[in-house]
Amino acid sequence: MYPQFVIEAVYFLVVSIVVVFLVVFYVLTRRGRSDSGPESAGHEKPGGMGKGEKRWLYFLFSVAVIGNLLFLSPVLPSIRYTLYEREAVMTIVIEVREYRFYLPEKPIRIPVNVPVEFVVVSYDLVYGFGVFRKDGTMAFQMQVVPKPYVNRIVWVFDQPGLYDIRSTEYSGPKHPWMYVSDAIEVIGEEE
Amino acid sequence: MNEEERKILSLRFVVVALVFLGLAGIEGLLMRLRIMNLLVDVFDEKHFYSIMTAHPFVGVYGWAYMAVMGAFYFLVPYVLNKDIYSKRAAYASFWLMILGIATIWTTTFLTHYAPLYTLYWPIPVAVDLAGWSPIAIVSFGAGVSLVLAGVLAFFFNMFATIFLPPRVASESSKARSAGYVAKELILTAFNIDKLVARFRKIPHYTSRAFEYPVFVVAVFRGCVDTTLNAFVIGGVGIILMSVGAYYLLPGAVQNLSMIDPLIYKNVFWWGLDLIADGNVLIFTAGTWYLIVPLILNRKLYGEKVVRTVILADLVVSLFVWNHHMLADTPQPFILQIQGQIFTWGELLTMGLTIFAVLATIWGARPVKYSAPLKFVLASISGYAIGGLAGIIQANYASNRFFHNTQWVIGIHGHIQLLVGLSLTIFAAIYALFPLLTGKALDERLADAHLLLMAVGGVVMGLAMGMAGTLGMLRRMLYPMGLGIYESFMNVALLGASMMAAGFAVFQINVIRTVGLTTIIKLFLPRR
Repeated sequence: MYPQFVIEAVYFLVVSIVVVFLVVFYVLTRRGRSDSGPESAGHEKPGGMGKGEKRWLYFLFSVAVIGNLLFLSPVLPSIRYTLYEREAVMTIVIEVREYRFYLPEKPIRIPVNVPVEFVVVSYDLVYGFGVFRKDGTMAFQMQVVPKPYVNRIVWVFDQPGLYDIRSTEYSGPKHPWMYVSDAIEVIGEEE
Repeated sequence: MNEEERKILSLRFVVVALVFLGLAGIEGLLMRLRIMNLLVDVFDEKHFYSIMTAHPFVGVYGWAYMAVMGAFYFLVPYVLNKDIYSKRAAYASFWLMILGIATIWTTTFLTHYAPLYTLYWPIPVAVDLAGWSPIAIVSFGAGVSLVLAGVLAFFFNMFATIFLPPRVASESSKARSAGYVAKELILTAFNIDKLVARFRKIPHYTSRAFEYPVFVVAVFRGCVDTTLNAFVIGGVGIILMSVGAYYLLPGAVQNLSMIDPLIYKNVFWWGLDLIADGNVLIFTAGTWYLIVPLILNRKLYGEKVVRTVILADLVVSLFVWNHHMLADTPQPFILQIQGQIFTWGELLTMGLTIFAVLATIWGARPVKYSAPLKFVLASISGYAIGGLAGIIQANYASNRFFHNTQWVIGIHGHIQLLVGLSLTIFAAIYALFPLLTGKALDERLADAHLLLMAVGGVVMGLAMGMAGTLGMLRRMLYPMGLGIYESFMNVALLGASMMAAGFAVFQINVIRTVGLTTIIKLFLPRR
């Protein structure tokens, strides 16, 4: 399963819990009885946080710490190749100008399970560089900031097959046509 | 201005804002149909992207900003029990906003100029490559500058209203100066007066922010963000006007590298993201803090914490822009991680805000839910759904899959704006309507409005987001067919239609309650 699908599933689980909580909250608050007067500020201590609010803050803080650690750990391939496995065994240079990708060969042949560095250079505008599987799902992408900047990304393809390239950033009305079908062929056997 | 004049001013702002919401909705529906490869003969790519360029300006500045302005022009003097500082500035902001948005809309409609709101350098000035007309660049830049001038006129008026004594009471020129207001603002907005008091070892010093109602604290702290935003985006408008005017000179040479594209992008996103924090988060929080205790006749839960949270949100908002640049590999990695970590900080500030509002409601059991309170609860769900999606996409690792996909603009952008922010604005409209007109809107129609808009917004946003997870890009047309994304776009169209129906129900409710002639008379000259 692709990482974005796992993230989406976790997101939908959390959102479902939140929505159910709010519906239950709505139902419960229509009934019930308050335990404090109209001028009360709940269980808050003068000048400080109430017990429940403190617990909620600790919970949110823990989620933020765990979330950051998780998204900076080598669990997801995008960060793994950027932070932890940066050494590429081959480099592919792609130029972009006047709404066209200029590939070194078509298709670009890449061995499976090998770190490959894509170096993309734009000579005029801001573009995007996205690699898509044939089913339309995205493998990875980056922005292409024009010269003097050089845009680099290291990636390991773990599935053989053909891949398309598409600009992932709007650069003008010709943007939808910045698409190269079967631009990359990943060869070899899946582990 | 007396209270009656302020009511008319607010109503004028709100009515114009609603017209802009309707216009943005029509644009949205047309774009949605075009994305589904319908109306291909009517809208070519250039025309489609020109609609997409106008859409956020009409939706954000025309609808959200003008509605907020209308509400605040009434509420801030009402809460502080004093007049608006300048009637002229109030009407200047009204007309500048309308003129600016009309200029942007007309330019994109007539010339099909389409740099999009992102305005990434050098796309807006790439005359030869993109085929823009230099006159369109000048006109569009002028429109952007006018809008942001209107925004600045509003915020300076707000700052002066909050921090200056009433005009009649102070004849001292020192007290009236812009420098005085700026000093008061900086000291109060960032709690600097408290720091100075600590430095000077003044015992038992109470921060000035505690002298103002919590709603007003949210207003001036949110205004700091949106003022900075106006300087940056207005500055881009001036650059566009200048470059466009230069291109009109004989012998002008196109130079796309006159501005560094990466530094520009950093400054641009720093400024643009402040809308998200100032307008979308802090103003919303402030509105909840005002409406909920008022309706429930109860003190806001944890006021002191809430004031600190608003300050924390202001500080956090200045350091989050890098979450827009996580896919820019030349960007220093440390900045990207900073953007990620600070964005998680918004989970804390928004989480505590929601806690304070829900705790206030909980303490008031049994609650009789009126229309504004229902809208507040629905907008909280919008913030939860849209905000969580935003935090997920703002991580370096996950951004590789989500950046510029329909996830960003669907689950995050549109749910946050249409279910989170817009329902908060409608909550304020339902709450203020009796105060401004002396008549209350029908509750059953309000329920239908809420249900259609909230469910429609969530359905549309989630469908777009799911297409985004599959790889469907935002700002993209798929001329060769939508493939696996098609079914999601059908569902998104259903959601959008529900929202349109909800808005129609709201209009019927307003017209039934006050009559169309009353609305028209609002804009006629008064004796």
